[in-house]
Amino acid sequence: MENSVEEKQARTLPNPNPDQDERQDPSDAKEDENDVVDDDEEEDEDEVEEQEPPSKPVSREAQLRAHKSKMDDLFRRMQNEKVNLRVHDVLIKGNTKTKEWIIEAELEGLKSATTLQGLLEAAGIANARLQQLDIFDSVRVTLDSGPPELPGTANVIVEVVETNNPLSGECGAYMKTTARSWTVEGSLKYKNWFGYGDVWDGSVAYGPNQTSEVSAGVFLPRFKGLLTPVLVRVSLLSQDWQEFSSYKERLLGLSLGLLSTRHHDLVYNLGWRTLTDPSKMSSRSVRRQLGHSLLSSLKYTFKIDRRNSPVRPIKGYAFVSTTQVGGLAPDHRSLRFLRQELDLRYAVPFGFYHAALNFGISGGVIFPWGCGFLDKPSPLPERFFLGGDFSPICTLGGPTTVWGFKTRGLGPTEPRRLIKDKPNDENSDFPGRDFLGGDLAVTAFADLSFDLPIKWLRDRGIHGHIFAGAGNLAKLTENEFRNFSFHKFLESFRSSVGVGIVVPTKLFRLEGNFYYIVKHHEHDRGKTGFRFSFSAPS
Amino acid sequence: MHPRTKTSPFRPVQSSITDRPECLKPNSKVQKASSGGTRKCFGLQRKRKTQPLLKPQLKPLQNLPRGFPLLVLAFDFGIMDEGVDNERQEYTLVVRKSYFGLPTACPSCLPVYIYLKFAQLPFRLDFNSTYPDSDQIPYIESGDYVAYNNENGGVIESLKKNGIVDLDSEFYSVPEWLSTKAMVISWIEDALMYELWVGSDCTPAKKIYYSNLPWPIGKVLFLKQVYSVKQRLGITKDNAEQKEEEIYKRANIAYSALSTRLGEQNFLFENRPTSVDAVFLAHALLTLQALPETSVLRSKLLEHANLLKYAEKLKIEFIEAGSSSSSIPYFQSDPPSSTSRRGPPNWSSKPRSKPKRQKTKEEKTFRRRAKYFLATQVVAVILFLSLVTRSDDEVELDEDEGYGYDD
Repeated sequence: MENSVEEKQARTLPNPNPDQDERQDPSDAKEDENDVVDDDEEEDEDEVEEQEPPSKPVSREAQLRAHKSKMDDLFRRMQNEKVNLRVHDVLIKGNTKTKEWIIEAELEGLKSATTLQGLLEAAGIANARLQQLDIFDSVRVTLDSGPPELPGTANVIVEVVETNNPLSGECGAYMKTTARSWTVEGSLKYKNWFGYGDVWDGSVAYGPNQTSEVSAGVFLPRFKGLLTPVLVRVSLLSQDWQEFSSYKERLLGLSLGLLSTRHHDLVYNLGWRTLTDPSKMSSRSVRRQLGHSLLSSLKYTFKIDRRNSPVRPIKGYAFVSTTQVGGLAPDHRSLRFLRQELDLRYAVPFGFYHAALNFGISGGVIFPWGCGFLDKPSPLPERFFLGGDFSPICTLGGPTTVWGFKTRGLGPTEPRRLIKDKPNDENSDFPGRDFLGGDLAVTAFADLSFDLPIKWLRDRGIHGHIFAGAGNLAKLTENEFRNFSFHKFLESFRSSVGVGIVVPTKLFRLEGNFYYIVKHHEHDRGKTGFRFSFSAPS
Repeated sequence: MHPRTKTSPFRPVQSSITDRPECLKPNSKVQKASSGGTRKCFGLQRKRKTQPLLKPQLKPLQNLPRGFPLLVLAFDFGIMDEGVDNERQEYTLVVRKSYFGLPTACPSCLPVYIYLKFAQLPFRLDFNSTYPDSDQIPYIESGDYVAYNNENGGVIESLKKNGIVDLDSEFYSVPEWLSTKAMVISWIEDALMYELWVGSDCTPAKKIYYSNLPWPIGKVLFLKQVYSVKQRLGITKDNAEQKEEEIYKRANIAYSALSTRLGEQNFLFENRPTSVDAVFLAHALLTLQALPETSVLRSKLLEHANLLKYAEKLKIEFIEAGSSSSSIPYFQSDPPSSTSRRGPPNWSSKPRSKPKRQKTKEEKTFRRRAKYFLATQVVAVILFLSLVTRSDDEVELDEDEGYGYDD
């Protein structure tokens, strides 16, 4: 796909100083390999022929010299002063299926340009926006002179080549916020089916804990006058938390992306969630939450990421705030809760061996609302769970894990059901306790990364790191907030330290770490030792 | 009549302690004392001061002297812990929601409730109204022990198997008891299932199972369940009428047989309650109180006066009297709702008004503060708007004054 912006100016420029003689104001133009004979050139030549008495034909060398001097003059003028120019007309060519207003919506900056410099910048932006629509094989923006009777004007010609093969596929590893873990996802896309720039996609994702998601969505760049694109997605998510919390989750959901800019993201989620326990081993708190529920929530995310790299940040900072309000439905029987997450990161470069110290602190709280909210528990899947073999450096967006602790491996627990003939064995893969998560979660970490002395490793981005992390969960609902004490919360923090090697790849970040658990509680699943972890940047 | 004497109408299960689940052993004697003791004893247990829990020696019930319950009562005063651990050791029966004047309107849950009432086993009621398609409900729990509906043949069978309570111990070898049980479980329960999901307008089923679920979920689950019931009963478009006739005919035969079996006795077998009484009583109460007056099944049941008298008498004795004392629901995921229905003159449920939930002091404070906060915000917005409008007017005046014609 051609990504170049080609700008071609007529030999006879739209004259910003109409008082000057045409001859004394040479038209400057960039050399273009694919120049097409300009009709205006011919017209100008004809005009010249009509206006002047016939003279000897100009040699090619002289023409080139004239062009060069015009270009030099133009560049000099552009550097020293603003070259006033306005757009007279925008012509769109090459769109057989795509609706013209879809393309025009991305060219609004061109019409408001008042100088040549501004016009060039706007043309670059328009080209990038049209490329981002992902429905064209190539986009070419050409600047041409305006009508001779309107000096100081230019015409913009946008030539698009619609994609011949609208079907494409992708595969990658991503951090799924819905699944709270990384997943490998494969997707098929069909582009521009109805000519509205619509991109339809179907995807299948699979992750740890038998997480699987099948989804289909449509992306509309322009919908009913909304300034930002609209994304609608239907998905069926299935997660198996039997091993950790004795329940399976299935969520049939509709997600509507209402606003998506660089820093702001607003999404509405509507879903039918079902929690089941086929093993019939769940603890009392989990048993009480089994069943069906309607999730209707609005989620707003504010994100600033000024780090130089999300995989190995060496300098910069990042901040994410996520607010979710559940229960936005006329039906009072839907899940009602308020959830807030905060995440702050900062990277301090040391200036040698690419070393950097990364700090991070994140916290989250969830609380139900509505009648009798003080006595109600928070929804189990919406609570905070800490633990998992992935790096907190890559996962930006709330408290997720503490190094060294397994998935859902720390926090409040409750004994599972006891069956007389099948005693629960703590050493088995299915310990006799359910991890219930917490309504309040706080994590913090510090990570010192540095290049290794071997050049081969350095060239491939493989580096080492020493790290320390801490985190804790607490229950606040069902009147437990009355017993909450910051002092006890701080005293019961879990912590770990470690050292390891990081191998960044195209799809994910692989770490081989040795963890040492400094502090843990009786039922936590944290183990000192060597482990690998996989992380996908979020 | 004290339930531990030989002349009591029933005897709780007499099994050795070793057959019981491990979690029940430390408290089993206290629980047995409370189950055999008065309800007053049960209520007092909840008010104990915290003291270490002792482990008294355990003896089979039949060897206990007459004076033992009083000793146990006094013993209980000093040893029980209050708090979550003590509450967890007590039985909790989790059922579907209360409706139509019944403690639970679910045909699977009410028999278990009645059975526990017959056994005079103290328990608490808890409700789950968000899982209508679960076959695990009802279930009974006590600490780490749980008996689900879809295990071991049901909660009643699990209670028998685990040695907690068994009202049928003397009837297993009685062929008539077995055949009556089979008839009640198959013909009569099928008839009620048909009437709830296919025969009537299905309003009772929607109220029982889906009234606490949001509309789209309830609707989809209801349609799924109707399809499932039709599959189970073998009903198709072609044989719908024939199946209906067959189901009502069998129900009628069953009612007649039961009416003959009952006669003028208090219970179906040997004047003592068994699980068959629990199952049939639940069926009768639901048929009479939950189904509409136009229900064919209901009209067939109304033809048997002794069955109606049996249902009414046992309801008053075990359900309405019992609901005021021992089985106080301590945690309700959804508050029980009861509706009054009009029934025939000789069968009417007493209309109960929904108990008004007392607001706690904290909630009142929170509401008051919320109102003040909202009022403050509204006032602030109004003030801001008025100030901004005033300053705009002043600015306009200034601007006007600024413009002038140059002479």
